Amino acid sequence: MFSRRPGLSRKWNKPIIHAALILITLFEMLPIFTTVLISFKSQQDITRKPPVLLPCDTSEKLIDLSACRWSVEGYKRVLAPKIKPDSLLGFELSGNMVRIYLVNNFIYAAAASFLVMILAGASGYAFSRFKFRGHKVLLTGIIAITSVPLLTNLLALYQMVISFRKSGLPFDDRVFIVVVYIGFYLPLSIWIAKGFFDAIPKDMEEAALIDGCSPMAALYYITMPLAMPGLLAVALLAFVGVWNDFMAGYLLIAKNEYKPAMFGLYEFLGQNILNLQVLAAACIIIALPVIILFLFTRKSFFKAMVEGGVKG
Amino acid sequence: MSQEQADIKQGFRTKMFTPFWLILPSLLILFLIQVYPTLYTIVLSFQDRFPTGWEFVGLANFKQLAGSSLFQKGIGHTIIFLIGYVFLTTVFGFITALLLNTEIHYKGVYITLLFIPWVIAQIIAGMVFRLLFLPDYGLLSGIMQNPSIFPPNGISVLTATAPQSWFGNFPFPPSPAMYLLILASTWRALPFVMLLMLAAMQMIPRDIMESASIDGANGWQAIRFVLIPLMLPSMVVAIFNLILTGMNSVGIIFSLTGGGPGTSTSLLSFALYTIGWGQLRFGRAAALSMILALVNWLMIMATLRITRVEERSSQHV
Repeated sequence: MFSRRPGLSRKWNKPIIHAALILITLFEMLPIFTTVLISFKSQQDITRKPPVLLPCDTSEKLIDLSACRWSVEGYKRVLAPKIKPDSLLGFELSGNMVRIYLVNNFIYAAAASFLVMILAGASGYAFSRFKFRGHKVLLTGIIAITSVPLLTNLLALYQMVISFRKSGLPFDDRVFIVVVYIGFYLPLSIWIAKGFFDAIPKDMEEAALIDGCSPMAALYYITMPLAMPGLLAVALLAFVGVWNDFMAGYLLIAKNEYKPAMFGLYEFLGQNILNLQVLAAACIIIALPVIILFLFTRKSFFKAMVEGGVKG
Repeated sequence: MSQEQADIKQGFRTKMFTPFWLILPSLLILFLIQVYPTLYTIVLSFQDRFPTGWEFVGLANFKQLAGSSLFQKGIGHTIIFLIGYVFLTTVFGFITALLLNTEIHYKGVYITLLFIPWVIAQIIAGMVFRLLFLPDYGLLSGIMQNPSIFPPNGISVLTATAPQSWFGNFPFPPSPAMYLLILASTWRALPFVMLLMLAAMQMIPRDIMESASIDGANGWQAIRFVLIPLMLPSMVVAIFNLILTGMNSVGIIFSLTGGGPGTSTSLLSFALYTIGWGQLRFGRAAALSMILALVNWLMIMATLRITRVEERSSQHV
């Protein structure tokens, strides 16, 4: 995708371009490296004044790599492994972060992204293939009215949640938050999905329709398989977005055992002002799943981002 | 338009209800989560809570909001933040895209590595920078607080208050924490802008740039007079996108500064949280929500207009 264009600046020296790119990459990567570094320090190296980069100094030498005091204390405090002989691995992770928050995070992100994919797929297909009354108005309306960011709607959603809880109707915070996430990621996803459907030629579908296939069957058997990579990209974007959300989970969920991981991190921030290794370890544990997901799916990720970003 | 109509005539002549049923579930959710809350917020912004319940108070919420220093200073903080954030991300995003839009090796590696900050959550991005700049213990605090590097006393980034303002209520120059907030936000958004710019650059036909260089334009002239004008619509869209995300980013403030020291990093988005859930003034917060939503909405409409113009012009190419 990023390989075909020759440069406008062929005269530029490649070493200079590489040097500049390495510099920018370093700027983007350094904070991540330092976080990893901090997460492996022990408490007495964290609270030293002035701080040292590597916990490797001895009384004689400034850096002695054989004397490094690496520690997994931070991870231990976040994961809180407990020996439990009857479990599969002989121990279980009893920290709230893994036991509750990350599990919740995964459930919300998976449920919301799956449903966003289906709903955006259906709507995107309809907007791409059918011309009906209100087509343009609806499409513009969806992007215009409903892509106002979540933040400005949170207040009303918060009041809605409170009145739902009071109303005595069967109501579950977890279901509601998933619906909120769907509503939040749907507008952009519909636009992206419509773009992907627009790019699929209609010929095969038309042939099927002429042969007497129903539009729904044509969608299922012919267009869907072709659109699947695009729809998966939509789901991916929503998954990462929901995984990374803080405000909605923080404000709209009442019970702590239903809250997502970013709330857990915020809770850690309150409890560990100076235990930087714990905070760093928590950051890495929460961020690692999406980073790995991104590394494996970066192509479709970029595709959806460009499609969505250019559209708004 | 005519192409689409021809398609309908050929094969998509179908009853209204197929597209209707396909769209309906999405519309219902959008109504519940987006449209209804917006209407609710509008109603709420004209009400206030009394011991007897919610009552209509007219424009009182807006008046009180306009009079509060959190709001007045919040506007200033937001403007300063947006100027710094949008300027830095756009300039460096453009430069990075330009560097990547050349024939070099390992392009995929660069893009992948560069992109990692964008998939990290805002609240984690804030935390990562907090770990670096935390007074006394953060890794960079040794440098920041060193009096010989930053005279006279060194800077304790997260706790130093803003210097005396030059323009009365407008909080300029900002506190050190604001610079840090801009830095952290730029760090996270740079890959996003880079990707949009790179995509826009790749859509520009190769021969246009080539003919520019044949006509004797040097690298800078080709960028200034050919590339940038051609990319302008995409750039404006990216900038509006940045303003939108910047205006509504709260997570990074929560973990980096908590709005402080004092209120020196509470942007309007964070002030919304403070007024609503901190002070429990939901009517006033709703008024602020409306103001934010209005600005957001104007941004989105402008973006839509630009993309539509762009699409129309690209059809002629």
